[in-house]
Amino acid sequence: MPNPTALTPYPVTITKIVDETSDVKTFTVVFDDPDIMDNFGNLPGQVCMLSIFGEGESTISITSAPTRGKFLEFTVKRVGRLTNIMHQMEVGQKFGVRGPYGNWFPFDIMKGKDLFFVGGGFALAPIRSLIDYALSEQHRSEYGKVEILYGSRSYEDLCFKSDLFERWPSLSNTAIYTTVDRGGDNWQGRVGHVPGYVEEVAPSPENKFAIIAGPPIMIKFALPVMEKLGFKNEQIITTLEMRMKCCLGKCGRCNIGSKFVCVDGPVFSLAQLKGMPQEY
Amino acid sequence: MMDVIQQLREQAKKLLEEKKVDLVIGFGQGTELARTTPVFIDSPEGVSKLTWGPFCANNLAKYLTDYKNAPGNIAVVVKGCDSRSVIRLLDDNQISRDKVVVIGVPCPGQLEWQKVAAEVKPGAVLKETADNGESFSVKTDAGDYSFNKKDYMLHRCLVCENPNPVVADITIGKELPVKTYEERFAEVSELEQMNTEDKNAYWDKQFSRCLRCYACRNVCSVCTCQICVFDQMLPMWVSKRTNLSENTMFHITRAFHVAGRCVDCGECDRVCPMDIPLRKLNQKIHKDLGDLFDSPTPGSKPGIPSALGEFSPGDPEEFM
Amino acid sequence: MEARVVNKGQLPELLDKLAKDYDLIAPVQEETVVLFRKISGGKDAFLEYTNSDVSPKGCFLPQNEKTFNYTYTGDSIEINKPEGAQKAVLFGARPCDIKAITTLDPVFEGEKFGDEYYSSKRENTVIIGLSCSKVLSTCFCYAFEGGPCDGTGSDLLFTEIGDKYYVEVNTEKGKALADAYSQIFSSQGADQLAKDKEELAKKLAGEFVRKVDLTGVKELLDNNFELAFWSGDEQKKCIGCGTCTYVCPTCHCFDIFDYPTGDFDGARLRCWDSCMYPEYTLMAGGHNPRPSRKERVRNRFMHKLKYHLDRYNMVGCVGCGRCVRKCPVNIDITKIINDLKEVAQNA
Repeated sequence: MPNPTALTPYPVTITKIVDETSDVKTFTVVFDDPDIMDNFGNLPGQVCMLSIFGEGESTISITSAPTRGKFLEFTVKRVGRLTNIMHQMEVGQKFGVRGPYGNWFPFDIMKGKDLFFVGGGFALAPIRSLIDYALSEQHRSEYGKVEILYGSRSYEDLCFKSDLFERWPSLSNTAIYTTVDRGGDNWQGRVGHVPGYVEEVAPSPENKFAIIAGPPIMIKFALPVMEKLGFKNEQIITTLEMRMKCCLGKCGRCNIGSKFVCVDGPVFSLAQLKGMPQEY
Repeated sequence: MMDVIQQLREQAKKLLEEKKVDLVIGFGQGTELARTTPVFIDSPEGVSKLTWGPFCANNLAKYLTDYKNAPGNIAVVVKGCDSRSVIRLLDDNQISRDKVVVIGVPCPGQLEWQKVAAEVKPGAVLKETADNGESFSVKTDAGDYSFNKKDYMLHRCLVCENPNPVVADITIGKELPVKTYEERFAEVSELEQMNTEDKNAYWDKQFSRCLRCYACRNVCSVCTCQICVFDQMLPMWVSKRTNLSENTMFHITRAFHVAGRCVDCGECDRVCPMDIPLRKLNQKIHKDLGDLFDSPTPGSKPGIPSALGEFSPGDPEEFM
Repeated sequence: MEARVVNKGQLPELLDKLAKDYDLIAPVQEETVVLFRKISGGKDAFLEYTNSDVSPKGCFLPQNEKTFNYTYTGDSIEINKPEGAQKAVLFGARPCDIKAITTLDPVFEGEKFGDEYYSSKRENTVIIGLSCSKVLSTCFCYAFEGGPCDGTGSDLLFTEIGDKYYVEVNTEKGKALADAYSQIFSSQGADQLAKDKEELAKKLAGEFVRKVDLTGVKELLDNNFELAFWSGDEQKKCIGCGTCTYVCPTCHCFDIFDYPTGDFDGARLRCWDSCMYPEYTLMAGGHNPRPSRKERVRNRFMHKLKYHLDRYNMVGCVGCGRCVRKCPVNIDITKIINDLKEVAQNA
């Protein structure tokens, strides 16, 4: 019997807050009930509904890989009332979480392949769970080279700086490419848009999967670059955003054709997307 | 009505052929004998869809705001009540006068389609309608029917102020005699005479049925706010919850929001799926506007400023 | 299949008994409108109706549902869920509306996650259907595998034959109820009435005047998302109200939001919502996948005629005709089906 109490959130306590940028924070939380934490079973790509009671709920992807430990990380951009309240919370405080929802990255079929991640702005968060999963001790040997190409508007807008500049580069067979749209005094690296950088790096589609997430404008320009490089639609994986309320495939609003983004997604291959109505 | 239909089609065809308008919005045969549906005709060949009769209840002026930024001109078929909306929209600068060609049709009244359908053989096809003064005759392929106006017309038609459109670039059909009514606000007076408790109970009963489908608001030709206060998230004046408190607030607030601009076309009342007598709220305000400010029904005379929408330094009371 | 007989004269008594032992929900007339409400006795039930103005889906998916009360201070969270559903009887729903409830089952109980609020009501409610005795010009249940005397989804189905009701016992739940009130549910005479019921069903089947032909429509929609048809009159005349979705017995979209009653207390509510509203799919950043009427009108009909069928292998419309009756501008799904069929044929 499918979990019937699916609309009930469970309390979590904030154990750590990282200021990624001026309007993005990453919250590390643990369920108050250790049983729930132990058995949560989230997989890379899945999302949760976060409850700030009195304001409502928000769908946030789990940015941490389950391999990193018994906790959940949510990266939250301050865009409205609910996220504003979250940004004012402190370590030790609580909110509600229910999940995990949605499908996950098809890490099984990616085994044995190289992984090329392309992320823009805030949208590195949803694919970070797969990055860490592939780079984890338990699963590193299952994947080949891991390359991460990421860009944002400026140095200040880069999320996960400690991962980009300290943790990930220290791992073997891993390459990080970072770029910013606008340079500045504290940035000595590449300046330019993400799609252009992808064209420059020119990853070969041979034995590879490309995992892309970013604002619609970035995706719009990045996808043709990938296609030009020879990536087939089945090799390009992305994760979508939609307005969601139930995350259970019931409230109806997140549908793209006959599919619900909250149940059949948010992870889709480009091949799947091309077979769906272009209404997202 | 056949000659009106004929002329309507001819005039519409002419407007489209001469490229005076890009679009004609009119009434077309609906999917029930006693219904019509709005049709949007953009080519001369399409004018054969146009029809007229006692089943043309919709206020098509509603659609003018959809086309206010469209490149070409629009022609719209209006009855008397609908034409008041046109005046109101023009006076509110919602659409510019030179963009609209008003095709006015004097209207002897509109029938309530559900009442007609209950009498007519299901599946009958409409052949012809005619106005016989006290009644309408409806000829179908399954027989001929007669519907007396008193029992079968829409409520609002029983006290019709403007059988002839108050504005029209083209008038089709004969002008009709204008009636005056002593008891125009009879239903409002009835309610006014109730004590507070009974009035409350009456409206509680009505509003408790409300689904908050917003058909009344969406069909209203003068509800033109780009973001309706009831759709706002911040602050959330009403939620999606239907309880007496929110329903009452919605209806009374809306009645006040359109006060002074509502043209009493009665569409809100017609479209309510729960048969809430919404027009009584607006009628109360119309009665008060008449009593307090000598104000005629908005839209019934072109160029008359809205009683609640105008301020002049000579007004006896302060602005706010 | 088992059957019983109930004398018409005994129905008020039965309803009185049911109202005492259960939450009895039946059609009632409020002025000119027929709704489903909880009644306290047989005298309140109004059964001489063709179909109600709002469907009985509210028995299982109420327009307003409190999922829980909360007290939240930021440092502590308390959640109190309401008790499960009481035992109830839904009496007098028409076959189309009962079929519609079965189309909601896969949504609430068949997806990856269940729904305790829906399931609790579903489990605890006995559905007693009432066959139609008249077909309206707006009815077209036959087009979606339904019928005026169809028992799909009902635990018991009453069909009025003369001064008796022929009662089909369709499930164990129904049998248990019929047995519990065996003084009223008689086992005698059922066989004779069975034939009468078949005659009635045949007679009513001949009374449909709305011709609906779905041939080729699904295939057309399967293969064409962009059709010039969707830019035509239907979306131009639609005023974007939620009437069709709210009166529809198969629509199930809802919103979830918090309703604070104080600084720390409040309730989380689940209330009906409509895909016809612009903010339905509006995202936080301002992007809207269905920005105009055209997309929303197309989505509604594709959901009814294709998406629901794709997902659950069940029709998304039951032909009750409420949307046809209630639409302020006479948008008619049967016309849309027939127009699409023409588009398919001309392709």
